[in-house]
Amino acid sequence: MASLPKRIIKETEKLVSDPVPGITAEPHDDNLRYFQVTIEGPEQSPYEDGVFELELYLPDDYPMEAPKVRFLTRIYHPNIDRLGRICLDVLKTNWSPALQIRTVLLSIQALLASPNPNDPLANDVAEDWIKNEEGAKAKAREWTRSFAKKKPE
Amino acid sequence: MSTYEEEHGIQQNSTQEMRETSREEQRRQIRSQLQGLFQGSANTSGGGNGYSDSTLLLQLLSQLLPESLQEEWLQEMDKGKNTGCPDSFAASLPRINRKKLNSTDNCSICYTNYLEDEYPLVVELPHCNHRFDLECLSVWLSRSTTCPLCRDDVMGHRIINDIDTNEAELEEDWGMYG
Repeated sequence: MASLPKRIIKETEKLVSDPVPGITAEPHDDNLRYFQVTIEGPEQSPYEDGVFELELYLPDDYPMEAPKVRFLTRIYHPNIDRLGRICLDVLKTNWSPALQIRTVLLSIQALLASPNPNDPLANDVAEDWIKNEEGAKAKAREWTRSFAKKKPE
Repeated sequence: MSTYEEEHGIQQNSTQEMRETSREEQRRQIRSQLQGLFQGSANTSGGGNGYSDSTLLLQLLSQLLPESLQEEWLQEMDKGKNTGCPDSFAASLPRINRKKLNSTDNCSICYTNYLEDEYPLVVELPHCNHRFDLECLSVWLSRSTTCPLCRDDVMGHRIINDIDTNEAELEEDWGMYG
């Protein structure tokens, strides 16, 4: 494996020494470009009290190319599909090399707090969200209880 | 003398073969037509009816097509598109003298402190004045025309200059022929 760019080492150190509240990101022992991530559902969102697991991979071209991030925990959200893929501008066209793992994970946390059904990835979920927001949120809460780990007290 | 069965057997075989080839041919045609539609509609950027139609088409297509194929085509499209600045742009940016750099300044692309390098090669973007290592910024500007820190369209300010020079050249030409 090619040596790890200094930037990735610095980012990793900072993530460990100064973690973002409600977010953990740990590099895999065998591959320091592969991170196991957890994000706590934001308070007052249907995802509250759930802890969601994600995987994050830094491609060879990082930071010229965005990290690849995917939910491993099932989640009912209009911008996240069945396979856990996330519809988020900073992960695609709006990526910039001045962004970092930390800011990407914060953006994902913010996406949980404010879903955007008008720019859907999961079409059926988005439709449900627009037609019957309360019902959709109830379902999201139910999925959080069933699939997400419980936030430790 | 061939039997009835033999004849028909051969006939059946050959028709089946023909069917197979034409099906293969059809598949290939449909595939290339779909690819055309997919890329055509994704490339459309204008307003009006055409736009909404093709967006709908794109959505339909993306539901019908296997993901691997979509990825492949999208990558092909990206290769064809030259989204970055010309190489000469980054090289033409003003370089910052070492004396003007603070000991805490670092490049927000590679996170390295500029003064760690004895001869740092730091450049500044026009308008937004954001600074980066020339090496880091060049790589980014080969794929994008925006400032990594503020998303300012760096080429936007340059086009005006280009038009000015063109006009000057144009006038010279007229002078030659006048």
